[in-house]
Amino acid sequence: MIDEDIAGLLGRVSLGDREAFAELYRQTSPKLFGICLRILGNRGEAEEALQEIYVKIWQRAGRFSQGQAAAMSWLAAIARNQAIDLIRARKPAANVIDEAYDLADPAADPEKSAVVKAEGRRIDACMEELEKDRAEAVRRAYVEGLSYQELADNFAVPLNTMRTWLRRSLLKLRECMER
Amino acid sequence: MTAPTPEGRDFRRDEVIAGEYVLGVLSADDRRKVEARLASDRNFAAMVDRWQSNLSSFDDTYDLVVPPPRTFTAIERRLFETAQLEPAPSRRGLWNSLAVWRGLALVSLAAVAVMGASMAGLFKVPSTGTSLVAELAGKGSAIDLVAQFDRASGRLKVTPVAARQAEQKSLELWLINGSNPAISLGVLPQSGEGEIAVPSAFQSRISAGSVLAVSVEPLGGSPTGSATGPIIALGKARSH
Repeated sequence: MIDEDIAGLLGRVSLGDREAFAELYRQTSPKLFGICLRILGNRGEAEEALQEIYVKIWQRAGRFSQGQAAAMSWLAAIARNQAIDLIRARKPAANVIDEAYDLADPAADPEKSAVVKAEGRRIDACMEELEKDRAEAVRRAYVEGLSYQELADNFAVPLNTMRTWLRRSLLKLRECMER
Repeated sequence: MTAPTPEGRDFRRDEVIAGEYVLGVLSADDRRKVEARLASDRNFAAMVDRWQSNLSSFDDTYDLVVPPPRTFTAIERRLFETAQLEPAPSRRGLWNSLAVWRGLALVSLAAVAVMGASMAGLFKVPSTGTSLVAELAGKGSAIDLVAQFDRASGRLKVTPVAARQAEQKSLELWLINGSNPAISLGVLPQSGEGEIAVPSAFQSRISAGSVLAVSVEPLGGSPTGSATGPIIALGKARSH
C-alpha cells in the first residue's frame, strides 16, 4: 500500500468517483477497522463506526491536501477521531482544558518553542528518552484511546499524577523533536 | 483556552492541549472546544497537524482486520442508494433527497489558483507559449478537469467538463433556492475556456445559502429545461 496511490484515490474520490471510493475502501478499510476495534473493543460498534468514517471520507476527500499529511495518516486520524468521540460519549471523561495546567519542568526556551517547525520522523528516538512507564502511557493513550482516568487506573497512579506525566512527556517530546 | 502568544507559557500550554487532543485523552466537551479553535486559529491548527504527523508512527501498532462485506454495502447504501433509485430523476424527488444532500461531496465548480513560479515547471513547454492546457481525467469519473495555465498572469484556471463518453455530453449548472424549481445557469464550456455569464435576471438570486448543482446532460444542455441526467455535484454557496 503506497501513500501516493492512496492520495491519488482520494483525489478521484473528491470528484465523486465511486470506483475509486471502492478501491480506496478495499485498500484502507482493514487498517481503519483495526483502529476501531482496538479503541472500541466491540465488533458491532466498530462496524458502525467504520460506516461513519467512510461517509466522512467520501464527504471530506476534497479537503485532503498532499502537502499537509501522508494520506494514510490522514485517514487514520479520521478513524481515530470517530472512534474516540464514540468512546468518550459512552464513557464520559472529566473536562480538563479550563483548569490550570501545571507545566513546570523542562524549562524549554520559550522563544525557540514558539516557532512551529517541521521535523523528521524522530518520535521513536524521542520516546526512548522518556521514562519507560511514561512512554508506555503516551503510547497506550494514543493506540487505545484511553482517558486520563483509565490511564491512571491502568498504571495505578493518582489521576493528577497521570496528567502531569502525559503533559510533561508531551513537552519533552516536542523539545526533543526540535533539537 | 487562551490565544497563543509568541512567548512563554500559553504557547507551551497550547502545545500540550494540541498533543492531548491528538492522543485522545480529552473529554467530549474539551474535544469540541479544541475543534472550534482549530477552525479559527491557524497557528494552533499547525500544532495539531504536527502532533498528528509525529504520533502517526504509532499507527503501525494497529492490526489489519478485514471488515465484513456487509459494512461496505451499508456505506454504499447510505451514500448512493437514494440517488440510484431515481434513474430519471423527478426534480422534486432528487432535490429533496436527503441522501443526495448528505452524500455528495461539495465540489467547487471553478477553482482559480495563483501559481508560484516553482510550480510553473509542471507545464513543460517551450517558453514561446503563454497559455497551456492540461486535461485531468479520473478513471470512471463523469467529469474531467481542464486546467489552463496562463504564464503571463501566473494564474491556473481549473474547469470541469463532461468526461469523454460514448456520446458527447455537457455539464449544466443549476441554481436552486429553497424549494423553488432549479434554474439553469448555463452549460459549462466543453473546452474549459471562459466562464459562465450568469443572465442578469438571475444574478440577484445567487446568495449565501443558494445551492449550485451540476448535472450531466446531452451535448448543449438539457432539452427540457430541467435536469435530466445524473447530478454529479452539488453544494451550498457561502460567503467567501
